[in-house]
Amino acid sequence: MANRIPPFLLDTSAPGSFKKDMGKVKIPFIEKGINHLAGVIKKGYAQSELSSQNGFFQKMDARVKILFLLFLIIIVSVKKDLLSEIYIWIFVFLLSLLSRLNIVALYKKILFLGLIFGFLIALPSAFNFITRGEIIISVFKLSKSYTFWIYHLPAEIGITREGIYGVLTLTMRVINSLSLSFLVLYTTPFPEILRALKVLRVPDTFLIIIALCYKYIFLFAKIVEDMYLAKKSRTVREVKNHEAREWITERMAFIFRRTQLRCEEVYGAMIGRGFSDRLKLYGFRKMRIADWCVGLSLFLAGVLLLWI
Amino acid sequence: MDLMKSDLEKILSLEKVSYNYLDTICALSDISFGIEKGERFAIIGANGTGKTTLLQMMNGLIDPSSGKLFFKGYEISKQTLKDKGFLRFFRERVGFVFQDSDVQLFCPTVLDELLYGPLQLDIDEKDALDRAFEVMRMLNLENVKDRPSYMLSGGEKKKVAIGSVLTMNPEVLLLDEPTNGLDPKTQCFLVELMFALNDAGKTLVVATHDLSLVDELQANVAVLSEEHRIEKIGGVNEILGDEDLLLRVNLIHEHMHRHGEIAHKHIHSHYLFHRHSS
Repeated sequence: MANRIPPFLLDTSAPGSFKKDMGKVKIPFIEKGINHLAGVIKKGYAQSELSSQNGFFQKMDARVKILFLLFLIIIVSVKKDLLSEIYIWIFVFLLSLLSRLNIVALYKKILFLGLIFGFLIALPSAFNFITRGEIIISVFKLSKSYTFWIYHLPAEIGITREGIYGVLTLTMRVINSLSLSFLVLYTTPFPEILRALKVLRVPDTFLIIIALCYKYIFLFAKIVEDMYLAKKSRTVREVKNHEAREWITERMAFIFRRTQLRCEEVYGAMIGRGFSDRLKLYGFRKMRIADWCVGLSLFLAGVLLLWI
Repeated sequence: MDLMKSDLEKILSLEKVSYNYLDTICALSDISFGIEKGERFAIIGANGTGKTTLLQMMNGLIDPSSGKLFFKGYEISKQTLKDKGFLRFFRERVGFVFQDSDVQLFCPTVLDELLYGPLQLDIDEKDALDRAFEVMRMLNLENVKDRPSYMLSGGEKKKVAIGSVLTMNPEVLLLDEPTNGLDPKTQCFLVELMFALNDAGKTLVVATHDLSLVDELQANVAVLSEEHRIEKIGGVNEILGDEDLLLRVNLIHEHMHRHGEIAHKHIHSHYLFHRHSS
């Protein structure tokens, strides 16, 4: 083997120091985003297992929590005014505090997702060419108004009071739905959630899909993170945005291929262990009086929020 | 960036390094050791003791929760690796071969994979191609040069992963479980390759739980405990000869079996089974 070592590998003349003041490396946004997302998914996966067992929500029966989640999500969707959404937010925030969750980390996540999936998506509807009304922030003016088919572009383009109210309401709905979902997810071990759904007569096929997806999301996050680190370990200079995009496109194809293979393997393993389309779970806990009391209190709180 | 004079003789050194996975679960605790230029160094430990995490930190891929790491006296951290000069200096000299070759290989073909590093280093195309072909010849990869990585066998993927790092001519090679899942012939080839690279002046750092590999490499060894701490650092004979230590860190175990009517117990591991008496 020794006589097959290429001569360039024997070259040890590389300088012992480096050129300073060459500037800082900028990491492309898309690359940072992927790494961050993988981290968030992994943290989310581990969170229910890591969550403290001493909080208010942690002690509660999973069935009560799931029913409460569904009930409150309906209330969040039914309410049409911003003030009610703010009341719901305060209520969920108090529950999170009582459950001793890490509020800063939790709301950083919720606000980030709420900003993207609530505020930014709904933002165009704040403009007067979508939601008519009193302009409170004028953005720019055209020489005249334009009309095309069913669309009308007024001469003055701006954000309307009614529009921004709608955007804020929708953003609060998203934030409230996320807060509720995270509250339940972070305080309930995943097998308990599955058991609760099974008791609530959710079809087995649906439960199997949820269980497999949950597992796969973690595997997916691990693959993405490993690929990112492998790329990072061989990156000696700044990566341009278009290079990062190209790499990500190629890697998406790789993940798709790997997913297909994994899917076939998992299905083969399930069949090999006698899988039928029934999900059999064990260890259902009996509802205690405390669970009924807490469940009733939460139901009444929900009715109160619906009423105000 | 300040140079730590005391660390100049060590090519890599770690000072009280700890790492918490997801900011909560302890993966490494209070790790300190140094590796000299041209050394063969093995990090051994049972599954889940933090070997991969330790290598990833030594490659500047993740930042420690506390403590410091140095390469040739320069600190390795998220901040220092933002410096263009240091990033190039460090990545050019420290190569990392991942345990899972699938995640490491991201170019369309084997040849592209081997060219990726040299082209990034702005080596001209002719020299880069020379490097790639020389490495392919050394690793017997010439027949698969135009194949995509997903059409290679496990052994070929591992060779390509090593080759893709070697074309950058690093001074230090970090290898994570290099022989895992490979057939005996490829394992033997890799051990010979590691010796040849070490003879060529490369520093080798291998993370493994394969005691026979450590024995073959005759490396200096750091043993990680299941509490994610350094249990002991020493020469290969000192470490592998310490059966109490290996039992304590769960690298070997007591095994009971029967020969006909007689049941007996003995310490069991692949390495000890093959150990030569002289």
